[in-house]
Amino acid sequence: MARLPREEWYDIARDVDWDLSYVDYDEVFPEWMSGTGKVPREAWAEWDEPYKVTYPEYVATQREKETGAYSVKAVLRKSRVFDQLDEGWKSVAKQHFGAVALVEDLAAYAELRMARFGLAPAWRNMAVFGALDETRHAQISLYFPHELLGRDPQYDWAHKAYHTSQWTVAAARATFDGMMMNPNVVDVAVQLPFTFETGFTNVQFVALAADALESGDINFANMISSIQTDEARHSQQGGPTLKILVEHDPRRAQWVIDKTFWVSARLFSVLTGPAMDYYTPLAMRKQSFKEFMLEWVAGQFADQLQDYGLKKPWYWDEFLAGLDTWHHGLHLGVWYWRPTVWWNPQGGVSPAERDWLREKYPDWEDRFGPIWDVIIGNINAGQAGLTLPATLPWLCSLCQLPVGTAGSPGNQRYPVRSYPLSYDGRTYHFCSRPCRQIWWEDRDTLHSPTVVDRVLAGEVQPPTVEGLLTWMGLTPEVRGTDAYGYRWARAYPPGDPGPAGDAGPAGDAGPAVTEPSNGGRPVPVNALFAGDFVTQLVTLQDTDTVDQAASRIAAQVVGRRVRSREAGLVVRLGGRVLPGELTVAAAGIGPLDSVDVSWDAGRVGER
Amino acid sequence: MAARRLKTWSALGQLGRLPGEYEIVTHALNYTTRPGRPSALASNPTTPANMWLLTYRDSSPLQAGDWLGFRDPDRLTYRAYVTMQDQQETVVAGVLDEYGPARHDASLPSWWLEVLAALFTPTRFPVHALQMTSAYLGYLAPSSYITNCAVFGTGDLLRRVSLVAYRTRQLAEATDSAIGRTERARWQQDEAWQPARQALEKLLTAYDWGECFTAMNLVLRPTLDQILLHELAEAARDSGDELTWLLLSNLAADAARGIRWSTALARYAIEQRPENRDVLRRWADRWAPRAEAAAAGLGQLLSGVRPAGAAERAANSARHEVLDRAGLA
Ligand SMILES: [Fe+2]
Ligand SMILES: [Fe+2]
Repeated sequence: MARLPREEWYDIARDVDWDLSYVDYDEVFPEWMSGTGKVPREAWAEWDEPYKVTYPEYVATQREKETGAYSVKAVLRKSRVFDQLDEGWKSVAKQHFGAVALVEDLAAYAELRMARFGLAPAWRNMAVFGALDETRHAQISLYFPHELLGRDPQYDWAHKAYHTSQWTVAAARATFDGMMMNPNVVDVAVQLPFTFETGFTNVQFVALAADALESGDINFANMISSIQTDEARHSQQGGPTLKILVEHDPRRAQWVIDKTFWVSARLFSVLTGPAMDYYTPLAMRKQSFKEFMLEWVAGQFADQLQDYGLKKPWYWDEFLAGLDTWHHGLHLGVWYWRPTVWWNPQGGVSPAERDWLREKYPDWEDRFGPIWDVIIGNINAGQAGLTLPATLPWLCSLCQLPVGTAGSPGNQRYPVRSYPLSYDGRTYHFCSRPCRQIWWEDRDTLHSPTVVDRVLAGEVQPPTVEGLLTWMGLTPEVRGTDAYGYRWARAYPPGDPGPAGDAGPAGDAGPAVTEPSNGGRPVPVNALFAGDFVTQLVTLQDTDTVDQAASRIAAQVVGRRVRSREAGLVVRLGGRVLPGELTVAAAGIGPLDSVDVSWDAGRVGER
Repeated sequence: MAARRLKTWSALGQLGRLPGEYEIVTHALNYTTRPGRPSALASNPTTPANMWLLTYRDSSPLQAGDWLGFRDPDRLTYRAYVTMQDQQETVVAGVLDEYGPARHDASLPSWWLEVLAALFTPTRFPVHALQMTSAYLGYLAPSSYITNCAVFGTGDLLRRVSLVAYRTRQLAEATDSAIGRTERARWQQDEAWQPARQALEKLLTAYDWGECFTAMNLVLRPTLDQILLHELAEAARDSGDELTWLLLSNLAADAARGIRWSTALARYAIEQRPENRDVLRRWADRWAPRAEAAAAGLGQLLSGVRPAGAAERAANSARHEVLDRAGLA
C-alpha cells in the first residue's frame, strides 16, 4: 500500500498550538525572545513555509548527501590533490574554515531559539531542521580540515579561531552575535535566513565552489556545494516571517534588513573579497568579487526587497560604490598586517594580476597602485621588514574593521577618514556614516569593544605588536606570511617601481602600539597620514611638540606605504592647522582625537 | 624550526589519545562558553540575551569544572544520526506497508479506537511541547557535547509528532471514530490530560538549563513516555493492534537513547561536583509530584485495557529507575 502523500497529513503535524491555561502566554513567549512587537499574536498563524519537507524526507535526503560528501573525501584522501593545490588557494580554504566552522554551530543556536520561541508551530518545526542542518555544517566544516592538520598547523584555526580574540574573529563575532544571538527571533529570522543566508551565503558558497573547482580543490568544492543545498531550504524561514512583519510593522522590517545588510557587506569584503580577487590564482578566477556581488547580492536582493514592498537601504549608492574599493583596502590591510591572521594572504599584485585588477576595477590603479608600488619597491630592495606592521589600524566601533577601508585614497566621495562620534564622554570612531548611524540607533545592544579598545584599556600586555599577536592566540607557526614568498613582487623589472625613499626614524618595527618611552603622559590618537589607506592608533606624548607628533605619525607610513617627499608636515585637528612648535597638550590634542598629517610643500627642508 | 605536527585540534591535544570522529566534530563548538570571555555574546553585557545566558546558563545552580568532559554514550554525529533515523524510517515504512493500514485500521474495534483517540492521537500536542523544550535545552546547554544530544533529541520529537500526525490522518480516514477531530479538545479539556498539560506548560517556563534538563529528561519524560510509548504499546498488542504496538516500540528506541545520555550527564555532573547531587535532587523532588499527577491522570485513559493502577505504577517506577541510573536514588 502506498504511503500517504505529504499534503494529506503535513498540516496536522504543524497544527500543534493550543491555548495555554496554567502559565501566561508572555511567560512562555517572552517579548525579549519572541519579539512580536506591533504584530498581533494571531497574525503568526498565517506563517507558511514555501518549501515543505517531512522528517522521513529530511533524513533520507540528508543521509544521501552525507554519504556523497564523505565518500568523495574518502576517495581523495589517498590522492595527491592537496599537495598540488596553490598556496593562495589554500589560504582561501583556511580563512573560510576558520571564519565559518564555529559560526555554523552558532547558527544552530539561532535555529534552536526559533524552534523554541518562534510564534508559529510551522516555523518552529522548520527551525528544527535548520538546527540539524547547522549541526551538519559545523561538523563537516571541522572534519574536512582536521585531516590536514598534520600538514599545516594553520588548519588548527578551523576550530580555534572563535576561541580567540583575533581581530577578524572579533569583527565576525560582533556581526554574528548581533544577527543570531542577541535579537528576538523575529529579527533573527529577518537577519539570518532572509538577509544573510538568502542575500550573502550564496556568494560565499556558490562563488567559492566555482573557484575551488577551477583550482582543483574538489574536496572543498564538494563540501561547500553540499552545504549550500541545505541553506537553500532552511533560508526559507526568512520569507514568511518577513511577510508578516512587513504587513504590521514595515519600518522595523526595513531597519532590521538595512543594518544587517550593511554589516554583512562589510564582513564579506574582508573575507570573500580578498579570497576571490587576490588569493584565488588568476587563471582560476571565474568572476570578480564585484561582478559576483552585483549579480548575486545587489541584483537579486534588491529585487527581493521590492517583492516584499520594501525599499533599497538608504545607503545603497554607498554600498555599490564600495564594491570598487572596500575589499581592496581590506585586502591591503590583511596583507600588511599578515602576522595577525591564520592564513597566508597572497599579495596578488604581480604585473599580470594588476592588469586584471585594472580591467575589473578601472580606478584601482589610481587608488591603490601607489601604495602597492611602495610595498613592491621595498620588497625588491630587500627591505621586506618595512612591509610589516608596527602599529594597529584603528577599528570601527561597529563593524570592527579598519577605519579608512570604507573609502579609499584619492576618492573624493568616500575618502579615507574616520567618522567620529562623541557620546557619554568619549569619542568613538567609525569607518562610515552608516556604521555610525547603526551604532547610534542600536548601541545598547550592538556596542562591543574592539581590539583597539581592549589595547587602550590595558588588556594587552606588553602592548606591542608581539604582545598583541600572543594575546590574539597567534602562535609563531600559524602567523600569516606572504603565500608566495613575494614571488609576485619579484616579477616586476628591477628598480621599477623605485625605492620609496627614507622610511624615517621608526622604520624598524618599534613598539608603536604602546605608550611613549619616556616623559609625558600618553595621548593615544586616531592618526591619518595623507595618502594612506587606513587610520592608525599612534600614541603621542602630551609633551611632544606638534612637529614631533607629526614625525611619529609619519614614521609609521612614509617609506612603508606612502612615498617619501621633500616636504614638511602639517598637522590638522578638526580641519584646523596646528602650529608646529606648540606641545600636543597646548595644541588641544586629546586622547582618541582624529589627527590628520599631510605634506606641506611650503615647509620644504624643515623636516 | 619545524613546528611539531598536530595530530588533532590543539584544544583536544590534552586527551592523551587520538580522538575519534565524534570528538573531532563535537568538541568545544560553542564559543559563547569560551573561558575568559567578557560576556557570552559580543555586545553590551546587559542586553536581554546576554542576561538570559548569564542567568539561566552560566549562573545555574548546576555547575561543573569542565562540561567539555561529558560524552554522549552513543557518540552520535550528524551523519550517524541521519543514517540511523533513515534506517528507522525505512523500518516504519515497511511496517506501515505490511499492515496495509486501511484494512488494518478498519478492523480495529471501536472501544480500542476510543483509546487511541483519547491517548494516542492527542500526543502531537504534548510531544510538540517537549520538542520546544528540547530545542531550548540545546540552546542553553553549557557545552556542545550536551547541545548536540539535545539537537538530535529535538529531531526525534519532530519525528514522533510527524508519525502521530500521519497515523491520525490514516485512522481518521479508515474509521468512524472521533480521531482527527477531537485531539485539541481532549488535550485542552479532558480531565485526564490536565495534570500532564499543566506539567508541560510549566516545563516550558523552566528556564534554568539544569532545571529544564532535570525536569524534562529525568522526571517528566520517563514518566510520560512509560505510558504514552510503553503501556499504550502493550495495550495495543493485547488488543490486536499490532501496528500501533510496532510503531510505538520503534519510537521507544529514541526515548531510550535520550535516557542513556541524560542519565550519563547527571552522573557526570555529580562526578564533577558532588554538590550537584543535591542540586539535581531538589529539582527532581520539585517536579516529581507533577509527574505523579500526570501519570495518575493518563493512567485513567488506560483503565479499560490495563489492570487498575498498573500504568500509573509502571510510570512512577520507570521514573524511579531513571533517577536511580542518574545516581539520584
Ligand atoms: Fe549553515
Ligand atoms: Fe564600520
